[in-house]
Amino acid sequence: MFFKLISRGSRRNRKENSLFFSSLLVSVLAFYMILSLSHQDVMIFLTRMESDAVDKLMTIIPVFYGLTLFILFFLIYYAGKYQLERRRHEFGVCLMLGMRRVRLFAMLLIEDLQSSLIVLIIGLPAAVLLSELVSLITARLVGIGIIGHHISFSFRAVLWTAAGFLLIKLMAFLILSGRISRQEIGSLLVETPDGVKKQMPALVYGASVLLGIFCLTVAYGLAIHGEAWSGVRQMGLTVFLGLLGTFAFFWGLRFPMELALRSGKHNRKLHVFHLRQIQETVIHRSSTLAICSLLILAALCCFGTGVSVFRFYGESEPHVLDYTFTDCEEEKDTEFIRQTLAAYQLDTCFSDLFEMRTGYIRTTEDHEHAFRMEPLMSALRELPASTDTEVLLNNLGYATYPHLIPLEDYNRLLAAAGLPKLTLDAKEAAIYMDSGFTNFERTKLLNRILETEPEAILDQETIHLTGTVQTTSLVTDRSITLAFALILPDEMFETYTQGTYNIYLNGILADEETEQDNLMSVISDLNQRLDKTGLSYESYLQNMGRQLFYMVAASYITIYLAIIFLIIANTVIGVQFLMSQQKTNRRYRTLIRLGAAYDVLCRSARTQINWYFGIPATVAAFSSLFGVRSLLGGLLSFDARSNLAEMMFLSAAMILGLCVIEYIYIAAVKRSSDRYLLTLMVPMREE
Amino acid sequence: MEPVLKIESLKKYYGRSKNQTKALDGITFQVMPGEFLGIMGSSGSGKSTLLNCIATVIQPTSGTITMNGRAIQELKGAALADYRGKEIGYLFQNFELLDNLTGQENILLPLSLHGVPEKESKKRLEQLASYLEVKDVLHKFPAQMSGGQKQRIAAARALILKPGIILADEPTGALDSRNAKALMEKLLGLNRQEQATILMVTHDSNAASYCRRILFIQDGVIFHELRRSIPEESRQEFYTRILKVMAQLGGGSANVL
Repeated sequence: MFFKLISRGSRRNRKENSLFFSSLLVSVLAFYMILSLSHQDVMIFLTRMESDAVDKLMTIIPVFYGLTLFILFFLIYYAGKYQLERRRHEFGVCLMLGMRRVRLFAMLLIEDLQSSLIVLIIGLPAAVLLSELVSLITARLVGIGIIGHHISFSFRAVLWTAAGFLLIKLMAFLILSGRISRQEIGSLLVETPDGVKKQMPALVYGASVLLGIFCLTVAYGLAIHGEAWSGVRQMGLTVFLGLLGTFAFFWGLRFPMELALRSGKHNRKLHVFHLRQIQETVIHRSSTLAICSLLILAALCCFGTGVSVFRFYGESEPHVLDYTFTDCEEEKDTEFIRQTLAAYQLDTCFSDLFEMRTGYIRTTEDHEHAFRMEPLMSALRELPASTDTEVLLNNLGYATYPHLIPLEDYNRLLAAAGLPKLTLDAKEAAIYMDSGFTNFERTKLLNRILETEPEAILDQETIHLTGTVQTTSLVTDRSITLAFALILPDEMFETYTQGTYNIYLNGILADEETEQDNLMSVISDLNQRLDKTGLSYESYLQNMGRQLFYMVAASYITIYLAIIFLIIANTVIGVQFLMSQQKTNRRYRTLIRLGAAYDVLCRSARTQINWYFGIPATVAAFSSLFGVRSLLGGLLSFDARSNLAEMMFLSAAMILGLCVIEYIYIAAVKRSSDRYLLTLMVPMREE
Repeated sequence: MEPVLKIESLKKYYGRSKNQTKALDGITFQVMPGEFLGIMGSSGSGKSTLLNCIATVIQPTSGTITMNGRAIQELKGAALADYRGKEIGYLFQNFELLDNLTGQENILLPLSLHGVPEKESKKRLEQLASYLEVKDVLHKFPAQMSGGQKQRIAAARALILKPGIILADEPTGALDSRNAKALMEKLLGLNRQEQATILMVTHDSNAASYCRRILFIQDGVIFHELRRSIPEESRQEFYTRILKVMAQLGGGSANVL
């Protein structure tokens, strides 16, 4: 009989409380996802390319696991609380019938274990599948041909997931059941709402709302103007003001609600009732709402930032070069590299090997005035003021001693990239700027000016700037970039550099090599063979690895955290609502007696749910507009910040997307509420 | 004169044939306008089932309930909700005030439920509040009121829409004798001054003595009826008669007067 009771209880829990059950499933998924990160295709790829950085990231994984454990504990705690609260009466009856508290405790423990095992049985395969799916999607996004795909199953992750899940489940259970079993039988049998709390004068609440708005405004100001990032103290102050503002705002919310109650139109069906219900929630649980709002804010900020960062670092330039051999100072060095490659029979792996020379102006020592382009700068100054012209004027102001690139080498690069050749007459030069230092708008501005072929002075000699701004990367290594350089006809290059320059030997893999296998395998194999030659080189994949690392480290984790935060906040809000709805079931019964139809009750509950979710979500969404902007401004590098407007737009779109998720959650809670109200429509004998 | 409420051969059976419980087994009676009718019976006699059937909280197995000439079993949707809110006023044993609403908000709740503009009932609210002596607690929450005040607020709520009949389910059940007496006097006053029709289910012989007529139910059937002769019979004498019937009730139908 005892075990029959247990299995019935466990089955009923799953059936009646899908919200609770899905929270548990989410926990399992979240644990496995973070623990199996090292088995994801992208990470395997990164380990081979950027092992040091990945190792560092992997050492953070246990910390993340611990953090997730901690956060998910609250999720399970709240969901479990709701689960046990709805069965209070049943426990009271069991105790009344003489069940010992120890036996009740044992019954609940076995029930809990049973449901935990079922969750693990369903959740673990689902988690493995999801992880596989994420791995495949990221592999596809990055380019499956490049990194390949492996099964991401990790037995260790499965074990740790099960252990972590059972641990937090047990902890939550011990706390909750301890509380329930300590209660008087009488209080278990009677469901009572929280009652009316002692109210303070309205002025106090009004002041609290104003204080909250003031603190939040100051925090927004500090965040958006970048002061928050100028030091630990400023950041601490911003966060403190933000937290204080949110809590004060939610605590004081009962004031505007009271005003709404007094002045609102009371003719709408149950208007006063649902306003009072919402007010009660705000009064009794203002701090929970504030915490949920902050969690949603954190989720929105993480998501917005993660996606923007992913987008920025994910914007890869066209793939032209596969290898660059460095350590060349003279022509004979490149010859030596070619010979070494031939000696190791590696020369056939490349379809093309060509030099890329860059040097400084050696004909003058005056670094401050070696190059001047006053007509171009004047033309820029005459353009309508904008951020782009301001940035250009500032950056180009420093271009007094530019790098020089010979036309021949650059044209070979263009040919490799499949771009048209550049032609320059004597006394003509083209501007080169790495794509990291310009953007579409700025390049367009400069190109318009370059159409007039403005004059410039290169070591006291007049030249004309012509063509369009060139941006194709000179070498594979993306950390070697030139902010400003001049492409000169070869004779001019030789004259100005006086034969002193750096030489990079660029290589492009032969088609037959890349056709055999995915690019990662080909380059990995070739790297092993090249390592034996003792040559210094940089490969395309190492660069890509570096970029991917930023993407994965920044976006994967932020998006992961965003999802966890969002799930917790929404589950807590949903569970709190359903819990208070059940606690106040008598009110609904009274309304039914007074003639409230089912649809009227549902509408009222739905309005309450909209408000209940809407208040914290709206505050969070509003704050996130400042939060995301501040995070992007503070975390991104200078060149990434130049695309801030675009990223803000992207973040806003993501926030909108998250609002859709919020809507789905609200719809789920509404369905649960409707189902519950339907059970109340059946009359209950109360004698 | 047409009856407000007409109940004919009302039956309510629970369960299947073998384990069937006959909560109501063919009850027939009428309530005339301005009548103060009491229903008495022991626990499980079917009086609450009867009230629940009239309040459309439960569906009878057979028989008809006609309120002001309309068969209530045929009511559906909005008409049913309107019937619950406007034609009947329900007074509960445990008051059933919404604890997060003030007294006034509780009283006005039926208006909001049935889309009646508050302005129209403002005068009515003032009148009821002053008659039921709850003006002082209109802006208080139920937790800040005494039991008597709560029940009088509940009475105002039941009366705010001027229902055709007030169904009172053990209205004095949760009150002390002083508050119970005060409430019954107010109900009697309403019955006499406003011609309010009241159908009250009660265990309490003292409360029942305020009625003009009492039906005694046992095992789902009416087995006795008492009428108070007004003005010859005093409330005290009527009370004594009720007590006699109640004493008989303990012994079942074999001991009926």
